[in-house]
Amino acid sequence: MDSTIKDFEAAIAELETIVKKLEEGDLPLESSLQLYERGVQLSRFCHARLEEAERRIEILNERGQLKPAPASLTEDESKA
Amino acid sequence: MSLFDLPFEEPEPEPKPEPEPERPARKPPAAPQRRIHTVSELSGRIRMLLEEELFEVWVEGELSNCKVWNTGHMYFTLKDANAQIKGVMFRSSLLRLRFKPQDGLRVVARGRVTVYDPKGEYQLVCEHFEPEGLGARQLAFDQLKQRLAREGLFDERRKRALPALPRKIGVVTSLDGAAVRDILKVLGRRYANAHVVIRPTRVQGEGAALDIARGLAAIARVGGVDVVIVGRGGGSIEDLWAFNEEVVARAIAGCPVPTISAVGHETDVTMADFVADVRAPTPSAAAEIVVSRHDDFLARIDRLTRRLAAAIDNRRHRLESRLRMLEARSGMAGTRGRLAMRGRHAAELTHELGRVMRAHLARRERSYQRLRLTLETFDLRRRLAGVRTRLISGEGKLASAIDRRVHGFEAHLGAAAAKLDSLSPLAVLARGYAVCWNEDRTAVIRDASSVAVGDTITVTVQRGELACEVTERKPPTEDHTP
Repeated sequence: MDSTIKDFEAAIAELETIVKKLEEGDLPLESSLQLYERGVQLSRFCHARLEEAERRIEILNERGQLKPAPASLTEDESKA
Repeated sequence: MSLFDLPFEEPEPEPKPEPEPERPARKPPAAPQRRIHTVSELSGRIRMLLEEELFEVWVEGELSNCKVWNTGHMYFTLKDANAQIKGVMFRSSLLRLRFKPQDGLRVVARGRVTVYDPKGEYQLVCEHFEPEGLGARQLAFDQLKQRLAREGLFDERRKRALPALPRKIGVVTSLDGAAVRDILKVLGRRYANAHVVIRPTRVQGEGAALDIARGLAAIARVGGVDVVIVGRGGGSIEDLWAFNEEVVARAIAGCPVPTISAVGHETDVTMADFVADVRAPTPSAAAEIVVSRHDDFLARIDRLTRRLAAAIDNRRHRLESRLRMLEARSGMAGTRGRLAMRGRHAAELTHELGRVMRAHLARRERSYQRLRLTLETFDLRRRLAGVRTRLISGEGKLASAIDRRVHGFEAHLGAAAAKLDSLSPLAVLARGYAVCWNEDRTAVIRDASSVAVGDTITVTVQRGELACEVTERKPPTEDHTP
């Protein structure tokens, strides 16, 4: 993902600033378009982050290893 | 007769000042250091010593000889293996107890020691009992709470915000309890791509507290875990006790990622709740908190994305209308000589702006289109819903069109059947006409000359047939010619 974006929270904060600046509307066209592009980039980043994760349930055991959760836990959940 | 045959009254009567004991008129002979007390004096001194020194005591022991008098006060003996103390609990205190004291019950009693001079006895006036274990624990709880509060562990300023989009959600609880299932159920329903890491721990009984504390430390070290839910399902206060212990409280306070405590039911409040960054009333609620944070951010991004598109669209519209205005002005200027300068100026501006816009548009066209497409796909879900609505209404239309066609066919068929019916020879026969056939019924006789006298012909009438013999032929008359 884009290295200029630190993390999700930072992306949202920056997007918020950009939208406010654009809405004020007194920027030169060139900067407006640049901001817009950046905004879209940030928006895409956020959406990608929201979508990218994959459902997983793991157990951290005594030895510090991660194992998939026993089916009984997840089965129970799908029944519910 | 009980030793307490004279019940104490409530409120305890103020000890009446002992009347100055009568002193012998003469001085005691030759023993100036010898101080002789009256019984009342000594009793008074004992009372003062005991009542001042033992103004508030906690004592643990077994109840026996419990007896409630008709005044409502309860008299009892508190004892252990080697000693016993008489005691009383007044009616008002007795009514406030949440359990019924009875012989054999081990309790922790809070009270003060008083002396009952008339009988030379001391006793414990108790204000409160707690069943043993609970009492000691409650005391420990209160003390720990004060201590941790003084250290600032409960300060609001320490509370951290939960991450909007946890990469991994840590859960520290028992695998056998309801809590883990409740949490997974909520996440499964409302946070489809949650990544959960569970650290199984004991949550009650010996060693549970240390286990939980270790679990917290271990799970916080797993890369990507950026929020931890620690808790268990409902149970008795003893069951929940591990979450009141210092080692757990400190582990929560020292956890490098934000914590959500989720212990028991809504009404259960544990030390873990005071220290955690967020207190959830139940494990399900803890999961809901994580989910709603996620949902909030999702909505916020969508809103921002829409505003972003609207802002740039707005900007574009304003530029376009300005361009049109300048073009119009320059056109007008061209027709009027005295505005030639301004016209030229406007034309230049127009030209310049047009050039800038075109340059921008040309440069940006492709990426702009690509980005717009991206924005649109964000709306894919709504668009799919639209398509679905259209599909459903399309199905409706199709069905009614088919219905109309079928009705048309039916009407058509009815008309055809009616026509067919009117053409049927049977209908003609019903009106009294008959059909003549040649003998072997291979041809209808239309011309009298096609048969000879003596031939046998068949005549079909409405009901049945006749076999007839031709006895005479008559040529057609002119009138009958069709």
